[in-house]
Amino acid sequence: MNRYKNVFDNVKKRGEAAFIPFAVAGDPGPDAFVDVVAAYVKGGADVLEIGYPFSDPIADGPVNQRAAQRAIKAGFDHSAFFSAIKKIRAFTDIPIGLLAYANTISHLGNDDFCKKAAKAGVDSLLVADMPPEESGELMKSMRKHGLGRVFIVSEFTPDERMRDICRNVDSFVYVVSRPGITGIDTTLSASVKTTLARLKKVTDKPLAVGFGISTPEHVSEVVKAGADGVIVGSALVNEIEKAAVRGVDPAAVLRKKARSLKAATSFAQIHFGL
Amino acid sequence: MSTKTKKGRFGRFGGMFAPETLMPALWEAEEAYERFRGDAHWQTEYQRLLETYNGRPTSLYEAVNLGMRLTGGRARIFLKREDLNHTGAHKITNALGQALLARFMGKERLIAETGAGQHGVATATAAALLGMSCDIFMGTVDMERQKPNVFRMNLLGANVVPVDSGGKTLKDAVNEALRDWTKTVKNTHYAFGSVLGPHPFPFIVRDFQSIIGKECRAQIKKAAGRLPDEVVACVGGGSNAIGIFSAFIKDKNVKLTGVEAGGKGLRGNKHAVRLTPSPYAKPGVLHGSYSYVLQDKSGQIADTHSVSAGLDYSGIGPEHAHLFESGRAAYTYATDTEAVAAFKMLCEAEGIIPALESSHAVAYVIKQAPKLADGSIIVVNLSGRGDKDIDSVAKFLGESI
Repeated sequence: MNRYKNVFDNVKKRGEAAFIPFAVAGDPGPDAFVDVVAAYVKGGADVLEIGYPFSDPIADGPVNQRAAQRAIKAGFDHSAFFSAIKKIRAFTDIPIGLLAYANTISHLGNDDFCKKAAKAGVDSLLVADMPPEESGELMKSMRKHGLGRVFIVSEFTPDERMRDICRNVDSFVYVVSRPGITGIDTTLSASVKTTLARLKKVTDKPLAVGFGISTPEHVSEVVKAGADGVIVGSALVNEIEKAAVRGVDPAAVLRKKARSLKAATSFAQIHFGL
Repeated sequence: MSTKTKKGRFGRFGGMFAPETLMPALWEAEEAYERFRGDAHWQTEYQRLLETYNGRPTSLYEAVNLGMRLTGGRARIFLKREDLNHTGAHKITNALGQALLARFMGKERLIAETGAGQHGVATATAAALLGMSCDIFMGTVDMERQKPNVFRMNLLGANVVPVDSGGKTLKDAVNEALRDWTKTVKNTHYAFGSVLGPHPFPFIVRDFQSIIGKECRAQIKKAAGRLPDEVVACVGGGSNAIGIFSAFIKDKNVKLTGVEAGGKGLRGNKHAVRLTPSPYAKPGVLHGSYSYVLQDKSGQIADTHSVSAGLDYSGIGPEHAHLFESGRAAYTYATDTEAVAAFKMLCEAEGIIPALESSHAVAYVIKQAPKLADGSIIVVNLSGRGDKDIDSVAKFLGESI
């Protein structure tokens, strides 16, 4: 949690928003995944968002689902996950957010999962198919083991619920840019601005926007609309897939892409076109 | 899992394990369904359609030949003839209810998942009747296996959306339908085909199917002068079973038995048995509810196998998980081989071609027959007709049509 506070404070001081690249753990393979994350870090990631691969990811689009399938096929499991996170922790101290599905956690048991995740170096947990109503027991375990809480809000979330969710969140609020699932979009939804404005009225916690954000232009727009962080997933995972298909190392491409996305989070770049 | 709220729960099972983007749609469906239930105009319309279009009530038939063959007449076996419904199974009763509910909510589009195609055909039928646009999500593997049903849905004006993700079967079709719904909730209702998914769907589908039990309870009292000793139904997602069980749950002397798909047997994972202990069956979360789920040792949802496409699913309705743990219902399984033998026996003994799903329930009665007490009465929910299955059965028996 402190890791988050420091990062969001620092990027703000520098006149930037946090750049939060996403990858599915174990994709394209257990070690190659750690290399992917290293490329993100070298490319300027402020926070990492790591998806735990699940066979039936109902909140994800085809790109992230294929990534999960590659990981599962490569034999990725709980112990591989925790050891990958430990390897990442050996070279970076930036916050690691975990995005998982409920079954992954219940399979191991709430307490055991949270304990192992926190010990490996995960900072926060967002469960894609577990709204606050269903999270009571899990949140107890998260508190006990010091895992930060992240929940999603969308343009459909009513005001009162927004307030409740923001109260429950202690790391950042995950704002989805539009209804639907993760994926690559060509244009950014116009509703982001309204949703962010509504959120700012009820909370001062960091707001990170995700879903469909694919280009530096999207990143600039979201930052201009008032986001404290920008999550880019499918557009990067797509590069991992392309490289995996060709059998080449995606690191160079990811580093380059990450750099251009990170650069777009700077207010100076937005205001003066630098 | 959560103790904070018991909303939408059957004991510790059920709940609303949905992405935040879907929550408003679920509240809307829940709230609208409560109003729909109490609305005399819409209820009258539903009853009218059930009687004049769906073909309800379905009959309760005493299978005397089968009873003689299996028990020498010691026990009486009754069949609740859900195979006589329009489109050939109990599915249409739920599809009509959901389509009316969608119209009541002002939605113009229906979406649904389908495995074998039965619920897809039923939903496409209801959509055609009520003038709604309709998209049916179906795995490409199932589309290949069930070509006639794909064509049927097209004839009925529905668009069949091929699902090419994951294992390309029912589970993946549900994923894709849920994903579509998160984008289209404004004008679209998701007509779940079974007592599955997040709250309120397990409750809504149970309510619509509970008419099976209500009819059956009155019919058996009239035919036999008393309640049955046992009610048997096959369980995939579990809607036909919940439908018939619901009227007898309070009658503690009526034994309730659910029969799952034993596939190639419980050794290995070529089955869809969730409520008989095995290394694969564990409580977990799939498609919005907490229930028993077949999963591998890493918590990934396991693939299943059954000769019957309608039972070939990794999860089970949360109310069944509760009936199982509370001991109110007993669950067992029949293998592919036993189900096909039962299919043949019912054809020969009674002149009824049962669905392969329903054949699992018949298979249980065949196994149980020697143990039945003199004068006992057993009711089998014959959830669907088997015309759709003749290719599968021929293939299983190594015959060609």
